[in-house]
Amino acid sequence: MTKALLNKATADKNAQLDININVSYPQFDLAIQMAMPLKGITGIFGHSASGKSTLLRAIAGLEKTLVGDITLATKMLVNTEQGYYLKPEARQIGLVFQNSRLFEHLSVLGNLEYAVKRCKKRQLNLNEVIELTELTTLLEHQVNELSGGQQQRVALARAILAEPKLLLLDEPLSALDQHSKTQLLKMMLNIQKKLNLPMLYVSHSLDELQQVCDTLLVLAQGKVVNFGNIHQVIHQLNNFGEKALIHQQTSLSLPIKQFDNGHGLSVLSLNAQQDIYLTSNNAFKNKKQLRCFILASDISIALTEPSNSSIVNHLFGTIKNINHKKNKVLLTITCGSQEFFVTISAFSQQKLSLATKQQVYLQFKASAVRTFIH
Amino acid sequence: MINSDLQALITTLEMATLTTIILLIIGTPLAWALAKMTSRFKIIIEAVVALPLVLPPTVLGFYLLIAFSPEYLPGQLWQQATGQQLAFSFSAIVVGSVLYSLPFVVQPLQKAFEQLGDSLLEAGALLGAGPIDRFFSIVLPLTKASFITAASLGFAHTVGEFGIILMIGGNIPGETRVLSIALFDHVEAFDYARAHLLSISLLIGSMILLAAIYWINLPKKNRRQRSSVNPKQEELNDD
Repeated sequence: MTKALLNKATADKNAQLDININVSYPQFDLAIQMAMPLKGITGIFGHSASGKSTLLRAIAGLEKTLVGDITLATKMLVNTEQGYYLKPEARQIGLVFQNSRLFEHLSVLGNLEYAVKRCKKRQLNLNEVIELTELTTLLEHQVNELSGGQQQRVALARAILAEPKLLLLDEPLSALDQHSKTQLLKMMLNIQKKLNLPMLYVSHSLDELQQVCDTLLVLAQGKVVNFGNIHQVIHQLNNFGEKALIHQQTSLSLPIKQFDNGHGLSVLSLNAQQDIYLTSNNAFKNKKQLRCFILASDISIALTEPSNSSIVNHLFGTIKNINHKKNKVLLTITCGSQEFFVTISAFSQQKLSLATKQQVYLQFKASAVRTFIH
Repeated sequence: MINSDLQALITTLEMATLTTIILLIIGTPLAWALAKMTSRFKIIIEAVVALPLVLPPTVLGFYLLIAFSPEYLPGQLWQQATGQQLAFSFSAIVVGSVLYSLPFVVQPLQKAFEQLGDSLLEAGALLGAGPIDRFFSIVLPLTKASFITAASLGFAHTVGEFGIILMIGGNIPGETRVLSIALFDHVEAFDYARAHLLSISLLIGSMILLAAIYWINLPKKNRRQRSSVNPKQEELNDD
């Protein structure tokens, strides 16, 4: 009995989404074969026409022209070889669209109840979800009276109330202002943790994804370019081919060592010997970890330790790799176990005659360490 | 009103009501299928549905009269099933009216369904609503105004029929003698007083019905309820 329960628990923990599909389009073919562990929020990143929305629609059951199969945990969703196609209403998968797609003939509460009424095994408390999405004061409003951010909150609450096994988010923030974006991202993280609901989050904005995702899937031209830990994937994208997908950068999650050093700077611990300073913000206060990034173009190289400079961050590291691209050079530098990415001009590289395995100092201002607080 | 005219009025209302109900039952799925259809046969079906708009009613009436006669298959089948002749019966004028008023019901519904699009239906499906549920919980409330328009136009057009009824129904009191036929009778008999009475009542009745349709379709600025199925257009108007 206990063993059976234990087995079930571990099975759920290892739940994954198996995708093996092809969808043909005039511009490109989407061809994806992968197993995606369902844990936390997984980001799906790519430019327009990379196939990200098509992938979500295929998982949700809205893309009818696909060939192949998709399995969610142990539940087969589609298998064209066996002629099996589970209708979207039977998949228990939620989807929040870019345009909220609320029902205009119903009030906010009416929209939420629409989902509740059709949910087979109700476990969530309606009021709890209303509180989580901060809709308490809006319940009686007509949906067309709401702002864009409010509408997306209703759409999010409605999707959750259907109690899906997996929640898909298709560019839910792209039409919103910065304030609403930040608010909704916080809400998503909070909901993910409280309800332990796995999410796939599609966006063309790396900035949004870096705030909430642990895992990142990168699509280009309908193919998987990269999949894995978000920091590693971003670092791999720094070297990606001819056309840059992202701004080259170092992406970090670091423990906060000191919230304020007395001069308005926070201190992050990079490793036992080295720290990183950044401009402090009240939003860091109760956090243990901080996500941040440093653009490769914001870091400079020195051969000796700079002692008379206003720049607060200087790290000691070893050049691991030098990558030329026209008049620019991308350096990969290891500081302990952490890799940093630096772009300098080919002119500077020649002047300093930099080579691999050479030991150098990285320097960047506290303000070059960017967080996601707006 | 005099007895025979009253009877014609009752026959007319019965015919128009029954026709409207049948039209809504067969017109809705037909309009839905046309709205979602992408095959090239769509234009052919659309043309067939629209045919009564341009065809002289007597042409349709002539073919129906032949089809309904006991010598031909539809008439024979009807006779076998009901034991009665189809031509020159109340059933004949209802069948004729359904065909003749079909475009007045199908076209507004098809347009409404096309404007509604798939996005809200997809949202409904992902919240667990099946196709029938989606129709009654999303499509019907959002296209209510178009249903009222379709039903009113179908009803009014059926009341106004003349040629086709004369061809396939004849002029049997209490069975196929409707208002428009009664009016024709009065004129033929030079009974202009009764003709005036019938004409003016039909005119006023039609005016009231049409005014009601336009009122229903009027964009209501102060009421938030959608009268149109095209929210985008209304949003622009609101701004």
